[in-house]
Amino acid sequence: MDSDLGERLMVSTAVRARGNHQAVPAGPRRLRLDLRTTPARMRLLQAGLILLSLAWGALAVFTVSQYASAASGVVTTREPLSFDALQIYSRLSDANDAAATAFLTGGLDPVAVRQRYLDDITAAETGLEGVTALGGAGNGATASDLRTLAADIPLYAGEIETARADNRLALPLGAAYLREASALMRGTLLPTAQGLYDAENASLGTTSARATGLPLITVTAVIGLGIGCGLYLASRWLARRTNRVLNLGLLAAGLALVVSLAWLAAAYANGRSSLLKAQARGSTPVAALARVDIAVQRAHADESLTLIDNGGDDSYQRDYQSLQRTLGPGQGTLLTNAQAAAAGSPAESAVAAMVSDAQRWYTAHGILRGDDNSGKHAAAVRSALDQAPGSAATSFGQLSAHLTTAMTVDQAAFDASARDGSSAFTGTAPGVIAVALVMAVGCGWGLNRRLAEYR
Amino acid sequence: MRPALRRTAVALAAAAALATATGCAAGPAQVRSMPASAHAAVVDRAVGHAAARAAAAACNPKAASLAPNGPPRVTTGSFMATTIRARGYLIAGVDQSTYHFGFLNPLHGKIEGFDIDMIRAIAAAIFGNPDKVEYKAISDAQRIPDILDGSVDIVAHTMTITCARLAQVDFSSVYFDAHQRILVQSTSSVDSVSALAGKKVCVTQGSDSGSNLRLPSGQRQPVVVSVPYWTDCLVLLQQNQVTAISTDDSILDGLAAQDPFTKVVGPMLTDEPYGLAISKKHQDFVRFVNAVLAKERSDGAWAASYTHWVGTPVQQLPPTQYASTP
Repeated sequence: MDSDLGERLMVSTAVRARGNHQAVPAGPRRLRLDLRTTPARMRLLQAGLILLSLAWGALAVFTVSQYASAASGVVTTREPLSFDALQIYSRLSDANDAAATAFLTGGLDPVAVRQRYLDDITAAETGLEGVTALGGAGNGATASDLRTLAADIPLYAGEIETARADNRLALPLGAAYLREASALMRGTLLPTAQGLYDAENASLGTTSARATGLPLITVTAVIGLGIGCGLYLASRWLARRTNRVLNLGLLAAGLALVVSLAWLAAAYANGRSSLLKAQARGSTPVAALARVDIAVQRAHADESLTLIDNGGDDSYQRDYQSLQRTLGPGQGTLLTNAQAAAAGSPAESAVAAMVSDAQRWYTAHGILRGDDNSGKHAAAVRSALDQAPGSAATSFGQLSAHLTTAMTVDQAAFDASARDGSSAFTGTAPGVIAVALVMAVGCGWGLNRRLAEYR
Repeated sequence: MRPALRRTAVALAAAAALATATGCAAGPAQVRSMPASAHAAVVDRAVGHAAARAAAAACNPKAASLAPNGPPRVTTGSFMATTIRARGYLIAGVDQSTYHFGFLNPLHGKIEGFDIDMIRAIAAAIFGNPDKVEYKAISDAQRIPDILDGSVDIVAHTMTITCARLAQVDFSSVYFDAHQRILVQSTSSVDSVSALAGKKVCVTQGSDSGSNLRLPSGQRQPVVVSVPYWTDCLVLLQQNQVTAISTDDSILDGLAAQDPFTKVVGPMLTDEPYGLAISKKHQDFVRFVNAVLAKERSDGAWAASYTHWVGTPVQQLPPTQYASTP
């Protein structure tokens, strides 16, 4: 490189030394001379307009790809991640509930309850694999949550199996292992899973906001209008110089610009409205329902654990009562919030049913506790397990079923709208490229026709 | 329930336990530093406690209960008649996780054991039916608070009669005599408290077993880990989270029965006379229960229950002593 530079210096010195005096001023003079002539200016204008057209194409494609990638991120990555994270939480919580219920029934756990526990653990692990595959890389809080879950779910399952084996031998030690497993679940696994869900849900919100945000599209539109102004000024200048009112090439370019602006705006408006609808009728109600789900499952596990661990330690019952207050219904409670969020969404009626289910459950739970506290432990256990009219198990089952329905239909509403939002950008990028090429060709051709008149 | 009250009561019990430990310090610490033979190391903490407080009030836990008035009889106007019979069942605070004393048998979901047999005998004496009992499974820490707030009539829960506890509740006569020892994995070389220096030892919250594990000052003390139930201690031992469990041999035998890879080792550290706890408000009930226990001992029911739950040879309880007050 150094030698190359040195060579060039030597050449230029050699040129000067030969005394070619004309060579040095020639460039600037010719340029000055050329710019004074109309054809030179036209050529410059032509080059500028072609570049501007291509730049507009690039900008439009950039804008479209930003929105399209955010929208497809919502559909293909963020939403599945958020859904999987919720699955992990919900299935782990249900597994703990199933394990406790199996214990409540005595030494021989019912086949259905055992199967529910196994399905839950499998589903939680599948969800964990899904989240790890899609978003597990890195060292952030999410990655550390995933590692905790991957390490502790087998530990939990191991303790449950030990509890089961001891219980099968009729040893009181089994209940101690269940307590230990339950403490691991409540103390580590569920808070971690909840942290993961909160993080994924926040990412979903951020990506969704990026897909519907105004700043980028506004800047692009302003630049597009600026280019439109440029085209108008160019054609006015051309009209003065050439005494021709209309340059067909520039007119075509202008029309193409209008088409691409309209296309962009339409795609954006379409995508935005679908994604906002997905949010309002899908992800917001689902997130509110997820919070209800989390509290309901925890309260139900409390109900079982109070009956199993009836060592007089009333911490589970206190936890149930505090969850009951958090759930509501009432001003600012989870159920009321979910009802507000689900208003107008497909889950509206299911959520309304949930509110009355929950109240029936509280009543049945109160009777169950009363029984347990007055020596009718067996009656209390029956209420917690048997699907009899008025039992805690019946009202909880209904609440649980309505909750599942509500979450499923709102999740489906979200999926459908988000997919619409994502597909709103389909074909827009090639479209705006084609239109930008039309603009460039229009500018080139339009000015060439005028330039031809000077030859 | 009544968390505030319960917390205060627990704090009181803890303070009392602490007071006992300090009060006993002069006695047991010296005994433990003596060359250990199983017999010499038996510490009658109650005697130590009484010595410390000799001026205030004589306390002998083995002779602190009220004498019965003849055979068990439910007299009109007594607590047994006005409250227990009127209610229709006895309410007993029991353990649900101590094998062979009070445990929930998963086979039929009922609580059974040696402690439970005592309660059944009392229910039979009141109602003529040993099943007229509501069992309230409680933790160690809840035994005294539940007696104090009246949520149970009686506690049968491997509960040692101590002077500190006698200040809060009444006890029946001694119905079982236990001694604190140490449970370790079968491969462990631990055979005394001094081998536990700096090691983790599991006890339950609300038991006073931890206070008997102090080594002479200057040595590293055992690290006491507290959990709600004795079976929770066995979980920790099986998971190698603690080196040993230390409490009454009666409880340790029940844990060892659930895990053949453990052994009960070391000298008898203390003397732990068990009594049934009853509120100080119901002295007539204390006398009644003592009458039931006297009958159980004399008619062989006590020995039969001992053989069934604890095994043979049947422990020979010393002759029952009662407080000198009439």
